[in-house]
Amino acid sequence: MNNNAKIQSIELNAWFGSKQVLKDINLSVKANAVTAIIGPSGCGKSTYIRTLNRMHELVPNAKMSGKVLLDSQDIYASDVDPVIIRRRVGMVFQKPNPFPTMSIYDNVAAGIRLTGAKKGKNLDEIVERSLEQATLWDEVKEDLKKPGTSISGGQQQRLCIARAIALQPEVILMDEPCSALDPIATAKIERLVVELKSNYTVVIVTHNMQQASRVSDFTAFFYLGALVEFGETNDIFESPKNQLTEKYITGEFG
Amino acid sequence: MSRIIDHGLEEQSVLITRMAELTYETLALAIQGYLKGKSVQDEVLEMSDTIVAMSDKIEDKGFELIARFQPVATDLRTIKSYMKIGNDFSRFGRYAFDISFINDKLNGLKECENWCKDDIEEMSKKVLLTVRISIDSLRKHDTTLAKTISETEREVDKMYLDYLQKLIGQEDVSSKCVISSVLMTRYLERIADHAVYVCESIVYIVTGEKINLG
Amino acid sequence: MLSSYAFRKFKNKLFFFLCLICVVIAVVPLLSILFEVISRGASQLNLQFLTANALQGGIGPAIQGTLIMIGLTSLFGIPVGILSGVYLSEFGNNKYASGIRLVNNVLTQFPSIVIGITAFSLIVIYVTGSYSPLAGAVALSFILIPIVARTTEESLKLVPNSIREASLALGVHKWRTTLSVILPAAGSGLVTGTLIAVARIAGETAPLLFTILGNSFFFQGFNQPMDALPIRIFFDSRQPSAEIQAQAWGAALVLILIVLALNIGVRVASRGRFSR
Repeated sequence: MNNNAKIQSIELNAWFGSKQVLKDINLSVKANAVTAIIGPSGCGKSTYIRTLNRMHELVPNAKMSGKVLLDSQDIYASDVDPVIIRRRVGMVFQKPNPFPTMSIYDNVAAGIRLTGAKKGKNLDEIVERSLEQATLWDEVKEDLKKPGTSISGGQQQRLCIARAIALQPEVILMDEPCSALDPIATAKIERLVVELKSNYTVVIVTHNMQQASRVSDFTAFFYLGALVEFGETNDIFESPKNQLTEKYITGEFG
Repeated sequence: MSRIIDHGLEEQSVLITRMAELTYETLALAIQGYLKGKSVQDEVLEMSDTIVAMSDKIEDKGFELIARFQPVATDLRTIKSYMKIGNDFSRFGRYAFDISFINDKLNGLKECENWCKDDIEEMSKKVLLTVRISIDSLRKHDTTLAKTISETEREVDKMYLDYLQKLIGQEDVSSKCVISSVLMTRYLERIADHAVYVCESIVYIVTGEKINLG
Repeated sequence: MLSSYAFRKFKNKLFFFLCLICVVIAVVPLLSILFEVISRGASQLNLQFLTANALQGGIGPAIQGTLIMIGLTSLFGIPVGILSGVYLSEFGNNKYASGIRLVNNVLTQFPSIVIGITAFSLIVIYVTGSYSPLAGAVALSFILIPIVARTTEESLKLVPNSIREASLALGVHKWRTTLSVILPAAGSGLVTGTLIAVARIAGETAPLLFTILGNSFFFQGFNQPMDALPIRIFFDSRQPSAEIQAQAWGAALVLILIVLALNIGVRVASRGRFSR
């Protein structure tokens, strides 16, 4: 196990039915850094991050093999409860999905209330802290009782981020979080991602290479289910070692 | 499949190639003028100004490509290196002008002994060869050719130091000759250095490695 | 000579009017029923009529019986129906669930008289030994549960999967996700579906004939026959006396009013909790 690694996949394979979508992925994600995963559509990047929080197995006919080590513990060991793993590895999705029947306050508190972690906690404090970390507090502090869906798309996405970090996960997975947002909202989320890394480990899937080069410290390039190249973002975008990586990032295909 | 950025890259490439040839001509003209004692200052000045203008254009083009297209990898290294090479070529233009200037003002080699002329002519040939190597390897992005410059440049350095040594040993050499030939050999040596920088840039474009060829 | 544009306009208008005529044809029977019931039944409505028993010329026991039937059936049938719907929607991706779904759909179309005689032989004969409100509740549940299960499943399926994923990704157990996130999100759909089912069973006659039989008096115990509005309407309308027939119209009006009240009441109550 790599010493600096927060979460690491070893010989990871994944299938949907008989179709193999991930092949022998060995990838080490460094703690307190932003790692971007890029690649053309269908290359397996979303599937990959879903194996990191055991969401992949919720799809009917989904299978996987290999190990995923979170701080040296294999999250797929037979005595591990996937629900506990998901509390340590949070996720933000492509389309903002706040709970429609809950207020802004309730949305942020939802993780704590619904996982039975409410005992002895000051919810007001936690909600405020999470919304502040998600840079949304100032915009909604007067409207906490309003429905979670009454704010703009970009704000909803930051609300989802606040909801995820309220549980204080160790890792935050983001699956193309800015795809559905306008450029200004996207810029706010990107700044937030860079700020988050001081407290969390972030893995962000993006099909936007410029975004990957802006926000990440490390970049992994996936193609047809395989990890083609992985390295510091500077190196990947200045002098990639693999011809395929070069072709993809310079726009020759994809 | 061609990309949007390809057109702009092609433009910058054409500019740098034209600039390369003009630079060689300018240097050759200035050096010939010096060796033969002919005045070519006006011509060389005009060519040198054109070279500087071309370097500015290449830089502007580079900035435009970066701002608009967010290039990465080879594209990015190429753009950056062309801007640097454009700079090196404009140094050549400047040195060519300096050479024709001292030719005019200090009468070139007219005050010197024959052995000086021979040595400097020998050195000029070698230096023009280094410039030729840098231009040819630029045109084809040929790293093998680029790496051959090391040997030639080492020879130029040796010739430079040898000449200085010889001059120190001499007793009655005219001061015009001394100043003129020392300046000339200095310029020649710097030209060879910049040719090496150009070749290093070419290796960087192709491999991404920053190496020392001098 | 009509230009093609004018001809198209004419075709549009023609089509529009055809649709309008069909709507009128569809609505007229409903309006005429309401008209008949209200005009013939309204005169019957007074306190005596609503609270006295049959021998005193009132439909008090029938109203009480209908309310008891609705209450008992809902108490048993709604939770079972909703949880079945939850199973089919949230856990039903396998072939067993497909089978259950098929059976359920068939049951929603089942002839109510067959349900009535089945409940009679199963419950009245073997379980309670006599006509009983319990047997009535069970019979009506056979009708209520499949409908509630199906509408629940459909409402839950309308909740976007992204909401489920969001909750599961927070590390919330599946049962808690379903209970605290999905069911509230499906809220108004569930309420509507349940309401439709309850309104349906409020007016069912055949199952009640075989299970509670009818009674002139108020509720007398769980192993005694009981009255209900549909039964009262059925019996009274076949009496030769015009007075008693008029009572049948009154009962019909009361039944329609109860169903209407159910609709409005639950709508008002749910507007606050499940508003989006």
